[in-house]
Amino acid sequence: MSPGPEQRDLLLVHAAVDGELDPANAVALEERIAADPALAEERARVEALRSALRERLPPEPAPPGLRERVRRAVGLAAAPPRFSSQPSWRALAASVALAAVLSSGGTWYSLRAPPTGDAVAEAVLAGHLRGLMAPQPIDVASSDRHTVKPWFNGRVPQSPRVIDLASEGYPLVGGRIDVVGRSGVPTLVYRHREHVISLTAIAGASRDQAITTVPSIKGYNVVGWAVDGISYWAVSDLGSGDLNRFAQLFRDAPPDQ
Amino acid sequence: MTSDDDKARFATVVLPHLGDAYALARWITGDRSDAEDVVQDACLRAFRAIETFGGSNARAWTLTIVRNAAYTWMSKRRAMPMVAVGDLDDIERAQSLKGADGPGPGQASQTPETELIAKADAAQLQAAIAALPPQFRDTLVLRDLHGLDYREIAEVTGVPVGTVMSRLARARRRLIEAIGAKR
Repeated sequence: MSPGPEQRDLLLVHAAVDGELDPANAVALEERIAADPALAEERARVEALRSALRERLPPEPAPPGLRERVRRAVGLAAAPPRFSSQPSWRALAASVALAAVLSSGGTWYSLRAPPTGDAVAEAVLAGHLRGLMAPQPIDVASSDRHTVKPWFNGRVPQSPRVIDLASEGYPLVGGRIDVVGRSGVPTLVYRHREHVISLTAIAGASRDQAITTVPSIKGYNVVGWAVDGISYWAVSDLGSGDLNRFAQLFRDAPPDQ
Repeated sequence: MTSDDDKARFATVVLPHLGDAYALARWITGDRSDAEDVVQDACLRAFRAIETFGGSNARAWTLTIVRNAAYTWMSKRRAMPMVAVGDLDDIERAQSLKGADGPGPGQASQTPETELIAKADAAQLQAAIAALPPQFRDTLVLRDLHGLDYREIAEVTGVPVGTVMSRLARARRRLIEAIGAKR
């Protein structure tokens, strides 16, 4: 027994809310929702339910002794190192690269940063360019930050901060995983008018850095900053004024976002 | 024989997901200390099987083991009513919502039902989830509380993605009906 077209649409509404539809199906469904108030209502109810669950049922944290109990059960020593005790190469690269780029007063080309630093900057730009060449610059297509953020769970060690800047003229389009070195890093994709902005978050910055514009590379503007141990790289063909404004809005968004 | 490599692997693959593991076990067993026992049991299983981990998705792999451990544990301790249910009839029932009493085209979709859902409190939501048949509850919890995507849920619950989709829609519809009906 297979579902009829209308039942199928009801299923698809759920998948759309979950960001599981490919762009072609998403657009087609959007048109049917616009024409069918019952589908629009179903979507409103599903969205209301999802946000109620998310807000009111945060995961119950594991009891404090459980981690130790498990470690003992498998014969691991006590006093676990949190994540990795020595900084990873990626963490080093993130801070070295940003410091090098931000302290450089000259042009990008004159920059003689350690090779790892160049590698990070190049990888971030390469990710943006690959995104532009692909049929779509994103792996998860959603303007809902509550869909985009959890999508990164299990794919990268740390989900990035995702901020809704649609009201400021920078709607969220989705996210993807870029590769820096051999590790996946989360990249958020925003739009401003017809321009795509890639924002890559790399964990492991050793200290905060102010927003700094890097001289453009082949017509692409790059802006970097670091907050709370994360360095952020925004890349776009957008004018540097608009890209800076984006960086400020993102950095200065209230913490509950 | 267990090597230090296995221990190190376990620490990087399983331990980061202990919080998720506990939360899922808590939903399935409905009890804190049962959930702790299940997590410990699951972690031992995961440790013994650590070399079978393929390296793709540590969280889904861990949660698969936790879920299996929880059901094994439950079947030993309690007589668990497993409700046999098809996966489509709620969707069909939802069909009937598309009746004559809906608002006209273009009207705002903020219905009283939507408002009730938005106002539902934690206890109400929790009770409604606990009342779901297990396979629906697991799917909903993994999606809406743990944030797994459909493919990961399919892996954890061992069913095709299409089944995940219909179970999720069905679970949500039941919650919507349970909460929307309390006027």
